[in-house]
Amino acid sequence: MNEITIGIPRALLYYKYHVLWENFFQELGINLIISPKTNKEIIEKGSSYVVDEACLSLKIFMGHVAYLQDKCDYLFIPRFACLKEKEKLCTNFLALYDLVHNSFPHLKLLNFNVDKEKKEEQIDGLLEIATSLGFSYLHALRAIEKAKDKEEEYYQKKENNLKNKLLNQDLKIMVVAHPYNLYDEFIGKPIINYLEKENIKVITSDIKQKKINTKGISDTLYWTYNKELISFINTYKDQVDGIILISTFPCGPDSLANELIIRKVKNIPISYIVVDNNSSDTGLITRLESFIDIIKLKGGKLNA
Amino acid sequence: MKKCFLGIDIGSISTKGVIIDEDNNILYSDYLWTEGNPIEAVKRLLANLKKDFDEQKYKVVAVGTTGSARRLIGTILHASIIKNEITAHAIGTTSLYPKIRTILEIGGQDSKIILIEDGIVVDYAMNTLCAAGTGSFLSSQAKRLNVKVEDFGDIALQSKNPTKIAARCTVFAESDLVHKAQMGYKKEDIIAGLCKSVALNYLNNVGKGKNIKPPIIFQGGVSKNKGVKKAFEDLLGCEVIAPKEGHLMGALGVAILAKNSNKEIDFDFNVTDINFETRGVECHKCPNNCEIICVMQNKKLLDAWGNRCEAGSVK
Repeated sequence: MNEITIGIPRALLYYKYHVLWENFFQELGINLIISPKTNKEIIEKGSSYVVDEACLSLKIFMGHVAYLQDKCDYLFIPRFACLKEKEKLCTNFLALYDLVHNSFPHLKLLNFNVDKEKKEEQIDGLLEIATSLGFSYLHALRAIEKAKDKEEEYYQKKENNLKNKLLNQDLKIMVVAHPYNLYDEFIGKPIINYLEKENIKVITSDIKQKKINTKGISDTLYWTYNKELISFINTYKDQVDGIILISTFPCGPDSLANELIIRKVKNIPISYIVVDNNSSDTGLITRLESFIDIIKLKGGKLNA
Repeated sequence: MKKCFLGIDIGSISTKGVIIDEDNNILYSDYLWTEGNPIEAVKRLLANLKKDFDEQKYKVVAVGTTGSARRLIGTILHASIIKNEITAHAIGTTSLYPKIRTILEIGGQDSKIILIEDGIVVDYAMNTLCAAGTGSFLSSQAKRLNVKVEDFGDIALQSKNPTKIAARCTVFAESDLVHKAQMGYKKEDIIAGLCKSVALNYLNNVGKGKNIKPPIIFQGGVSKNKGVKKAFEDLLGCEVIAPKEGHLMGALGVAILAKNSNKEIDFDFNVTDINFETRGVECHKCPNNCEIICVMQNKKLLDAWGNRCEAGSVK
């Protein structure tokens, strides 16, 4: 078999499934190219490929696709429609394949559908891709098993880390956002870096939860990823000093879910930061700095 | 000689300065327009403060800066502390009004609410990065109606029947406003409607779900607008205090913070004679191409910032 290179954009669901995806393809012996961390050029390129109303995270995704377009044989763009029965994901994840296909018609895409209501699972999709590329079913199955183990290990480590941080006596702030926003160089990263520079323990929302508990916030919300975030808040809010919610403008599911969180979660300071393609971070720093001050004032710790 | 402390609040629109003694009493204060040039504004402010300052009796031992140009001015004046305007405001207000329970604040670009119990901040909220419903919204609508924004309050108080205007988004509000004006609504009713919608929008936005208890202070530039103050009183059903010195709270707060920092750094009013320049440089070292601001004192580099990573560090 000829050596092939598969490109994965470092954006959106990459941040959620990167351990599984990377290990799976590497286990098969495929060359992987992951686009670099988001930079200004990527954002500018991405913005030119989507309508103005699209969210910043999607613009960034398209920028990463543009970066990869002449650097790989195939681009990995799965379509995610539904992960749990009677629940939904943002329609962007459903549309991603078609968006890329229409904007970059010359690219060869590797795609599968994930739709629980049609019994289409991610694992089956990955197997299908492997066999279509000429790998034996058994080989692919072994790669999947290994990748799943690695993912399990990764998230276990993350959870242990989080529990260690919670034991710490320093100020603890929970940063709640979709992982693609949490770790993007231009969205969540500057916020996390700033907090860490101020010696604050940052509790990030990207761990795997066995049980989803949205009690007290919403019984009817049907956005799977937002339910996970709400459940995370429910589980850990009593162990932190404040909550920062990050969203990209104009995210639909977040605009509803975060509103619910702000209204229903009581007795803890919450700051809601909506990031758009702002080039200056002055407004951001003012908000973070004052939020930390207020938390310190509350605990009577502000002496500077 | 007695020690005193200088606090300067350099906002986008106005620059405020106070000098306090060790008991937080305001000895001197001044207030002028920034006019897009914070360095010049601060030089003028210091010149004004120096005129009345009793150099035989007092000595400034620490400086604090706040407001959007806090870093620039703090660097130039060797400030003991550089603090964001929200914290500075909370500290300034509670020092003058220790019994206060709620601070409503609407500035030029942002709005926030601070809830206080026994002098300690217990809750807080701020608008998102969108500046809808703040001072800049009122100024832009004033321009459209050809009315001075300073006169907004008095005109609004004449209205008996405020027009309903959607103020959630400036763009929608503007089309609502034009439509209502073309329908023949009176100007004072439209202006009163705008004031009411700012208050309503504020309560539904940053104030939502918050337990707003009296005594309530309304501060920030928009607090000078009697129409918005009255709208808050109508909506909340209780008195709202808009203190005369409301614009000085940030400067006062940061002066107190400078005092509490216990970092005494000599300050000389003659700093106004020194030539300061700023220069923007594009980094070009990576695709981010950060714009780096360099502050020069008599042609020598004093400080620089704006780089996202180490590659762009100048110092």
